[in-house]
Amino acid sequence: MSDKIKNELQELLHANVVTAETAEKIRDYFHQKEAENQNKLSSVFGILGAILVGLGIILVFAHNWDTLSRLTKVILSFLPLLIGQIFCGYSLLKKSASTVWRETASVFLFFAIGASISLVAQVYNIPGDLDSFIITWMLLSLPLVYVLQSSIVSLLYIAGITYYGCNANYFTYPSTHSFLYWLLLLGIAPHYYQLVKTKALSNFTLFHNWFISISIVICLGTIAHKNGHLLYLSYMSLFTIFYFIGKTTFFDQQKLKNNSFLIVGKLGILYLLLLYSFKWFWDKSFYKTDSLAETLLSIEFIIALLLTVLAAILFYKKNSKTNFKEVSLLELAFLTNILPFITGYEFSIIANILVLFIGIFEVKRGIKLNHLGILNFGLLLITILITCRFFDTNLSFVIRGILFITIGLGFFLTNYFMLKKRNRNEK
Amino acid sequence: MKNKKIAFLIFILIVTAQLYVPLQMIFNQEDIIKTGTEFKFQTVPVDPYDPFRGKYITLFFKEREITVNNATKWRSGETIFATINMDKKGFAKISSISKTKPKNNESYLKLKIGFALNNNKIAIDFPFDRFYMNENIAPNAEKIYQEFSIKKKNETYALVAVKNGEAVIKDVRINEVSIKDLASKK
Repeated sequence: MSDKIKNELQELLHANVVTAETAEKIRDYFHQKEAENQNKLSSVFGILGAILVGLGIILVFAHNWDTLSRLTKVILSFLPLLIGQIFCGYSLLKKSASTVWRETASVFLFFAIGASISLVAQVYNIPGDLDSFIITWMLLSLPLVYVLQSSIVSLLYIAGITYYGCNANYFTYPSTHSFLYWLLLLGIAPHYYQLVKTKALSNFTLFHNWFISISIVICLGTIAHKNGHLLYLSYMSLFTIFYFIGKTTFFDQQKLKNNSFLIVGKLGILYLLLLYSFKWFWDKSFYKTDSLAETLLSIEFIIALLLTVLAAILFYKKNSKTNFKEVSLLELAFLTNILPFITGYEFSIIANILVLFIGIFEVKRGIKLNHLGILNFGLLLITILITCRFFDTNLSFVIRGILFITIGLGFFLTNYFMLKKRNRNEK
Repeated sequence: MKNKKIAFLIFILIVTAQLYVPLQMIFNQEDIIKTGTEFKFQTVPVDPYDPFRGKYITLFFKEREITVNNATKWRSGETIFATINMDKKGFAKISSISKTKPKNNESYLKLKIGFALNNNKIAIDFPFDRFYMNENIAPNAEKIYQEFSIKKKNETYALVAVKNGEAVIKDVRINEVSIKDLASKK
């Protein structure tokens, strides 16, 4: 408890603002909070320490101590693994109530597993099949998430399988078209569910929200095979699904920083709409394969269809409660998925109109809620739209200049009037 | 209390699995080294780096390109079996490739098709292409190889133990001297 609060409390007590009983309660409250904070701090340092030591061990061994015999090297490569296992066993038996012990020991063991496999590979010159190495490593670490209840290992696991998904499908040629990532992701689902149910507001859950949503966005592209263009449809539906998840009462009540699904979903939809607003985007054909039947049976189309249906169900579920009176344009953006199937029309116009109206609605909402952030977000959206249009239109420099001046003045004036209104309200 | 016991039992299972994976790797490799047949594969080394396992030299084998009747028959990434024997100079040579395991007692390697070079030439990927070295001497190794190759008389090869299609590199040598010794003397 800081001295400042102590002094102030003393002063309030003297001035009879609070009773002695209340003062005692306040003191207790701060003491408890302090203890919690200390616990949090030692968790953070313990975990950071374990990560650094684990990585350090990998680096020291990577030096390749070629003066040591093969047997010595092999024994040494087991050392971190055994130490990690002993620490984990100890925390499981004796310290199972302590988050610091459980998290630190399992993070150390996580890195030790990777270290010992790669060191054996080094000793015997086993070549770099990175994919199978990461899968083995992650599968051997996954049980730690459940047995030791380690959320950090869970986060490292998500990062690991995301890297695997990218490596197998984006970084190597020819890509393996592996769907294993999705199966591996399912492995973490029970832990995530438990976190959301029991510790909805903890930092662990916050990080999981962000890691999982970003990991899925990164890896959805791995389904691309021959009809890569259809991926845009899948992404549009995925972002819409994220948006609706973020709009559920559970997430909507939380702070915005916790609501990764809403942020990722909203920004994703807007990014795609801005992309759609370019004329050149519609130049390329959406049907890369020869026949329509082949397109309709392709994995990209099936996934896009499933995601779109899911997005539609969520749309109905959210809006049927309010009799479709609070539908925002953003929620309808996924309907653009129909566009590529009607050939011969300039769809960029529709996308332009959508973005423009979403921008205007955001400005309106900002003014209504007296929220500078939302207001400027709307203005920024309109500015980005106009900037984008400068790339594919032949407007004269004068007109472009005037447009920019107008939007700039818009920024000034709206912000100025809102601040003025606020001051007036406060007076 | 009972829960704790079950958790600990599961933990013991996990620990066993974690130990089993590297141990199994070791036993497998040791077996090939001790009982496999030795071959010398002519090679060219270059020196890159792996974040987990340290510095190594990548080996490009001269036997990489194979002449076949019809390259379209072999898909990229497909697993094949290559029968190997020795040429007059004592270096390993791939005598034939097939999609099934060779039945006779000849040594063979399990490897993958890289890509087709033209209608009757394909490149194959060897399952052993890395030789890990101490980080201080790995760059030297590449330099030494380049110096030797100017003299043109060098014979660089990887000494490889082969058993049941699998292989382990035992050493990389230039003119019969280990590249480790050459590089650390410099």
